[in-house]
Amino acid sequence: MKVAVVGLGTMGKVHADAWAHIEHAELVGVCDLDRVKAETIAESYDATPYQDLSEMLEQSNVDVIDVCLPTYLHKENVALAAQAGKHVVCEKPLGLNVQDAQDIISVCEDHGVQLFVAQVVRFFPEYAQASAKVKSGGIGKPGVVRLTRGGGFPRAWEDWYADEAKSGRLILDSMIHDFDWLRWTFGDVERVMTRRVSRSDEDRPLEYALVTLRMEDGTIAHVEGTWAHATFHTSFELTGDKGMVVHDSAVSAPLSVSLHHNEGDASKNGVAVPESPLNENPYLRELKHFAHCILTGSEPIVTAYDALKAVEISQAALESAKTGQPVVLAKMGGGVR
Amino acid sequence: MKVGIMSFAHMHAFTYAGLLLAHPDVELTAIWDDDFERGDNAAERFKSTFYADREEFLALDLDAVVICSENSRHRDLVVQAAEAGKHILCEKPIATEIEDAREMIAACKRNGVILQIAFPVRFAPSISRARTIIQSGQLGDILAVKATNHGQMPGGWFVEEPLSGGGAATDHIVHVMDIIRWTLQTEVKDVYAELDTRFYDIDVEDCGTVSLALESGAIATIDPSWSRPKTFPMWGDVTLEFVGTKGTLSVDALKQSSTYFNDQESKVQNLGWGDDMDQGLIDDFVQCVKIKREPSITGEDGLRTLEVVKAAYQSSTAKRTVPLERVHV
Repeated sequence: MKVAVVGLGTMGKVHADAWAHIEHAELVGVCDLDRVKAETIAESYDATPYQDLSEMLEQSNVDVIDVCLPTYLHKENVALAAQAGKHVVCEKPLGLNVQDAQDIISVCEDHGVQLFVAQVVRFFPEYAQASAKVKSGGIGKPGVVRLTRGGGFPRAWEDWYADEAKSGRLILDSMIHDFDWLRWTFGDVERVMTRRVSRSDEDRPLEYALVTLRMEDGTIAHVEGTWAHATFHTSFELTGDKGMVVHDSAVSAPLSVSLHHNEGDASKNGVAVPESPLNENPYLRELKHFAHCILTGSEPIVTAYDALKAVEISQAALESAKTGQPVVLAKMGGGVR
Repeated sequence: MKVGIMSFAHMHAFTYAGLLLAHPDVELTAIWDDDFERGDNAAERFKSTFYADREEFLALDLDAVVICSENSRHRDLVVQAAEAGKHILCEKPIATEIEDAREMIAACKRNGVILQIAFPVRFAPSISRARTIIQSGQLGDILAVKATNHGQMPGGWFVEEPLSGGGAATDHIVHVMDIIRWTLQTEVKDVYAELDTRFYDIDVEDCGTVSLALESGAIATIDPSWSRPKTFPMWGDVTLEFVGTKGTLSVDALKQSSTYFNDQESKVQNLGWGDDMDQGLIDDFVQCVKIKREPSITGEDGLRTLEVVKAAYQSSTAKRTVPLERVHV
C-alpha cells in the first residue's frame, strides 16, 4: 500500500514518520508548498518530494493520500485525491462546518474511495481505556464528567489557527477531540452551552472556553479548552453512581528529566521535562488501524460519520459562544439527522 | 464575651462550638435547639447550659449567637436574634429565599447588630494568598475561573427540600461563588446551569454544572456536585483555577495533606495538615464583635451568592441562560 502525505506541518511530520513505521505501508511521497521542507523530509524517508498535490497524484501511483493541511484546505484537497481514485486519510476536524464535512464525505462516496478521519484521541490508551471502563459499567450511571485539554496558543504557517474562518479556532480545532470522545463514550449530544473569552494581543493571543454539554443519556459534561496556559496538558474526571475515573497528564507521566544546566538559557535550569513514552504512539496506532481497515475493508473505530458529528457538536458550541444561549443539536440549522 | 449557639442541626455547629469553647475571649454560655435531646447533649459536651425555650435563651445577656439551624429556618432565627440585640454568625447559605435574606439583612441593620455569613473558605491561607496574587495584577486581567466544590451526599435534612431549600446546588455553589466575588470584585451578569439527580435516590438535585458570565467580562463555571465516591480519600474538594492575560493560577484549598494507606480500615485517606479555616472564621467573627467593626463577610455577600443559586435553578428548569437581577438591599 503506497501512501503520500500532503501538508508537512507538525501533524504532517508526525504522520509521515508513523507511515514509515507501518509494515504494509510505504511512504512514497510527501508534498508541501515549502520545497526545502518537502525535500528534507522526503530524504529522511526515501520518498519523493512534491510541491503540488495534483502533480503528486499524477506521478506517484499512490493508493492513499493523507491530508494534513490546515482545516480550510481539506475540502478542495480531499476532492482532488478522491477524484484521482485515492483513499483518503484526513486530519481532524474533517471540515470547517457540517456542510463542508458532508461535502467531503459525499465526494469520497461518489468516487468510491474510503475516508478516514484522524480523531486521534480514540487511540490514546488512557482515553480508550476510560471509554471502555464507562461503557462496561465501571462507574455505574454517569453523573458529571469533566475534561480538560490545551496549552499555549498554536502558532503555524500564516498564523492560520488564529483565523476562525480557517480553523474554527480553539473550539473546532482542539475541543473537538473531547466532543468526539464524549459522543463515542456516552452517545449523542442533546444541547451545548459555551462560555468563551479571547484576547488577540499580537504578542500573546489567548483563547479559553468552558463548554457544558447535556448528552442524550442525561450525562452532564464540562469541557475546558485552553490556548491560554503555559504548557500542554489533558485531564479527565468521570463520575458515576458506582465510581470515578480520573486522569491527569501532568501526574501520569512516568519519566521526568531535570537538568542542572540548560546551556544558553539559565532561566530553564532545573525545569522538569516530563515524558510518557509508549512502544507505539497514538498516531502510529491510529494510522496502523486505518491501514488495516483499507487492506481488509473493515469498519474503523472512528468513521467519517463520527467525524462529521464531532464537527456538528463543535459548530453548535461555536454558535452558543456567539449567542450566549444553549444550542439544541436537533434544532440546529444545517444539522445532520 | 458571651456567645450562644442556636441549633445544632448543621454539623458545623459542633466545630464552631469547640472553637468557641477554646477561644480565650469567649464564654459559650448558652445553647438553644428545637431538638431537646440534641441541644441537651451538646450543652453537656461543650460545658454549656441548654435552653429549650427560645425566648428565655434570647433574653440572656449574650453578645452574639451562632446560628446553625436547617437552612430554611435561618430567617426566623436571625430576625428574632437581631430583635433581641444579638450579633449573629449565620451558617451558609444565608437563606433559602431571596426575600428571606433581604428581611434578615434589614432586621440586623434596623437593630444595629452584625450579621456575618459563614464562608470559612476565605480563611484558607491558600485562598487568601491566591486573592493577593490576583489583586496584585501579576496575572494580568482575569478572563476566566473554573471552580469546583465537590462533596459526598450529606443525607439527613440536606436532602429534604422544605428544610434545605435544595440539594447540591444550594449546598455547594455559594462557597466558591463567594470566593470568585471576593477575589475579582465583580458581580454575576447571567447564569446557565444543568442540574440533575443522577447519583442517589433523593428528591433534590445531587449534581450539575453552573456556567456564568461576570460583569467584568470574565467567564466562570462552578461544579457543585455531590459526586465524590464513597472511596474518595476525603470529604470533597474546593478548587479554583484563574486564567489571566499574563498567566494562570490554580488553588486547591484542601491540598495540604498527606496520604494515609490505612490497612486497619481498608481505605486510603488524605490527612489534612493545613490551617483550620473554621478557626479563622470564628476568630474573625469574635474580633468583629469585640471591636464592633464591619463584618468581613456581610449579609449582602450571602444574598448575592444565593441569587446565583436561585438563577441556577431557574436556568436549569428553563434550559436557557437567565440574566441575574440583583435585588436592592
